[in-house]
Amino acid sequence: MKQHPLCTDTEDIPNVMDLPIPAELKQEWATLQTRRRFLGRTGKVLGWAALASLLGDRALMRDAHAASTSSPSAAPAGGDLKLPYFAPKAKRAIYLFMSGGPPQIDLLDYKPNLAALYNTDIPDSVRGAQQLTGMTAGQARFPIAPSHWAFKQYGKSGAWVSDLLPNTGRMADDLTIIKTTNTDAINHEPAIMLMNTGNMNAGKPCLGSWLAYGLGSMNDNLPTFMVLQTKLNAKENNQPVSSRLWSSGFLSSEYAGVGLRSSGDLVLYLSDPNGVDREVRRKMLDAVNAINRQTFEELGDPETNSRISQYEMAYRMQASVPELADLSKEPKSTWDLYGPDAKEPGTFAYNCLMARRMAERGVRFTQVYKRGWDVHGNVTGVLPILCQETDRGCYALVTDLKQRGLLDDTLVIWAGEFGRTVYSQGGLTPDNYGRDHHPRCYTTWMAGGGVQPGITYGETDEYSYNVVKDPVPVRDFNATILHCLGIDHNKLTYKVQGLDQKLTGTTPASVVTGLLA
Amino acid sequence: MKTVQIATLLDDRLLSKGKSTRVVWAVSFAMSMALLLLPWLFKLDGKPHRDWQQFLGRFHPLVVHFPIGLIVLVPMLEIAGACRPALREAAGFVLGLGFIGCLGALTLGYLLAYGSGTAGPGVTRHMWGGITLTIGVLVCLLARPWWMSGTVPHVYPALLTCVLLVLVWAAHEGGSLTHGNNYLTEYMPAPMKRWLIFGTVQPQMVPGSFYAAHINPILDANCVTCHGEHKVKGGLRLDSYGQLMEGGNSGPVIIPGKPGQSLLLTRVTLPPNHKQFMPAQGKPPLKPEEIAWIRAWVLDGASPAATTVRGISIREKAPEPPLVPVGDYSRMMPEIRQMANGQGAKLMLVSKKPSDGLILNTADVARSFDDAQLAQFQKFAPYIVEADLGGTAVTNASFDTLGTFTHLRALHLERTAITGDGLAKLAPLSQLTYLNLSGTKVTKAALAPLGSMKNLRHVYLYNTPAQPAPVAESTHAIARNVP
Repeated sequence: MKQHPLCTDTEDIPNVMDLPIPAELKQEWATLQTRRRFLGRTGKVLGWAALASLLGDRALMRDAHAASTSSPSAAPAGGDLKLPYFAPKAKRAIYLFMSGGPPQIDLLDYKPNLAALYNTDIPDSVRGAQQLTGMTAGQARFPIAPSHWAFKQYGKSGAWVSDLLPNTGRMADDLTIIKTTNTDAINHEPAIMLMNTGNMNAGKPCLGSWLAYGLGSMNDNLPTFMVLQTKLNAKENNQPVSSRLWSSGFLSSEYAGVGLRSSGDLVLYLSDPNGVDREVRRKMLDAVNAINRQTFEELGDPETNSRISQYEMAYRMQASVPELADLSKEPKSTWDLYGPDAKEPGTFAYNCLMARRMAERGVRFTQVYKRGWDVHGNVTGVLPILCQETDRGCYALVTDLKQRGLLDDTLVIWAGEFGRTVYSQGGLTPDNYGRDHHPRCYTTWMAGGGVQPGITYGETDEYSYNVVKDPVPVRDFNATILHCLGIDHNKLTYKVQGLDQKLTGTTPASVVTGLLA
Repeated sequence: MKTVQIATLLDDRLLSKGKSTRVVWAVSFAMSMALLLLPWLFKLDGKPHRDWQQFLGRFHPLVVHFPIGLIVLVPMLEIAGACRPALREAAGFVLGLGFIGCLGALTLGYLLAYGSGTAGPGVTRHMWGGITLTIGVLVCLLARPWWMSGTVPHVYPALLTCVLLVLVWAAHEGGSLTHGNNYLTEYMPAPMKRWLIFGTVQPQMVPGSFYAAHINPILDANCVTCHGEHKVKGGLRLDSYGQLMEGGNSGPVIIPGKPGQSLLLTRVTLPPNHKQFMPAQGKPPLKPEEIAWIRAWVLDGASPAATTVRGISIREKAPEPPLVPVGDYSRMMPEIRQMANGQGAKLMLVSKKPSDGLILNTADVARSFDDAQLAQFQKFAPYIVEADLGGTAVTNASFDTLGTFTHLRALHLERTAITGDGLAKLAPLSQLTYLNLSGTKVTKAALAPLGSMKNLRHVYLYNTPAQPAPVAESTHAIARNVP
């Protein structure tokens, strides 16, 4: 092996790369060698010790190489991973993330009996010993705030939907409504991390990264996992949404979500500057890649390969993203369906339309974030705005996928990180109220490939406070999504820090069969 | 041991002649009369009686198989006895034993019907079958000595044949009571069913009604064995709408609009170990969705004709055709992998199971992928289950190639220059269930050949001449989001 310029060690040692050992071990050795730079000579000793332990008994076998290549267990880990474990119902997914916690009682969890209980205190037996957030823990009273809006039954399924979501109601027979989603976290950041990565702490890969890692790409010209953010509305209470939510965690960074901007250029600096044409760009990239490959051969850091592939992806995106974002060929029926908002980049309706276009082009996983659902106060003022912004887009997306024949193998998911309380935060008046965070039950829906349309799953108590029947914890929710895409959540693992890490975490999770078609 | 002695004794007595013979005939006659009068002495009135009667009675299905076995053995012994006389000697003994078994089974059977209050034409027929059989066996016993001695050679064989026929009939009636009327014929191959002359008459139902489509089948599958034409427990029959609404000994079981007061719903929703839980006797309970359907139907007025019930949508159970596994493509794996890693159309694996097949994916090169390139995939044809040609440059000429993709289940041709000429060439694709022609120039006329493809159930024609784009979405339904 070539000596690194920074290395002063001139001892004559056997070259690991020439040893008759499996390629993967050479790879791991090379990775450890980067640590050597840090640890100096001692590091090399450590590296050898590590290599010995990696090799185990095989270090003494003359035919170690031959044996390991013929045995299936020694096949390269990544190579065979990029497949579903069983024939999937859905090939791709679109996740409409309602950040902030939509109030289930005002939208999809119909509780007609609450009207009679207006301004009465919620019984202590219902709340139990639950620890509340700092925002309402100090309240002297917990007065029940019935929903301000009426509900109607829709479709053959007879699902009850709030008058705030008339368009969602119209597609009730396509939806799988889950009333009993529940989470362990009561504040935004841990809850949104748990929902997306299966863990409240940052650093774990998110659902989209696991899918990209496990299933691979269907279109090499576009990222496997894309994130669309909706423009903020200053009237709403917007909680931060950070790139931790689409991070690949300990997986290679090529599986991280690629975020598109909600205003201006979708991707910054995507177009070549004046004087640089496609050919010049190609030459430049070839040269950079050559240098990067050289670095990889010397240092063996897998992130170098990620970098090379990201440069290549960016080059291909220079052609594919303008085509993706070109809405000029959309027929009039598209605008009739999605509404005039969809013409304005960064609106929720626009993002829904983009999600459909990405699904058509084989993007494996698209996540649309809509912030502002954190309605601690002025529910009657803010909630109609939120619903107006999202209701038609959701309906348009599902309907559009359906009429184009894409809903058969696309899973659409609508969810927030938690629900909201039945009792009012702050003052309760006949016209207005606020709602605090509520983790014990909240309503989500799915539609499309793999789930059973036209059902409402699970039951909550008459206060929409506790789950009465068929709870769906976040880990089961995620296990079910993976199942629809052909993945056994217990098998899609990645060993880090001595643990076979997985999206659903260490608490046993199970696929909710009641949701499946 | 005792039964053995009696049987032997009976046989001996019958062989001997004289005064004792007359006694035997008299006793037999009296016994037969008693059996014939039994249904009048203890009338099967449909009301349950003593528990001990039921307890003993429930041994009837067990005990009944002994006399059946013994009686069937008799003709075999008689025939085989022509060569080995010892067997014929045993036949008389077995026949006697069969008779005693008949008496026992008959007693227990009667206790079961009387004790549990079961009535109905099926039960009655089975009862008369049992009585006739017992008397028949008795007469056989009496006639056998004549045959043995050669004085009357034909009566006994004729009688024995009749007994066997009665046995088959009575046993079938009994089986129908426990397993249901159509137990034997349910899974009979369709061609055989056509020749089934003794098909049951279907009760009159409004075709297409919710009752006919969903309620009646639930009752038919779970309840009618005990509450039907052949067996009527508790005076309740559930095999027709009229009888369901009429109710049983405890009054009506369905009160329209009031599921809470409808006895039928109460009984099926009790805890399963409750004494009054239905379906009784450890039969599987109704499924939650079945109970929900009945409840919604009752709440909606329990109409015999309504086609929909508020709050219930039942998916049509049109099962997808079974997936036909493709052959093993493993030997072509190097080629497939090479293609997946290169630039160009890819063959992707549906799953880790090779029998799930391959997907032809053209997303990367959609615009340049044409008919000639498609033709190059012909050698993989038997393994390709899905071809994604959306937005490619393929034309009507591609149907020649696609027609050979015999395992194709899904075909995407949306946004291509297809006009539909030659769609008939897809007819051999018997497994094709999904065809997407959205955004093409396909006309209604060009689609006609698809009509013959039985498994093709998802055809998408959005934005084509065959299905014009929908008129503007009505805007009145958009949210009235005024606080």
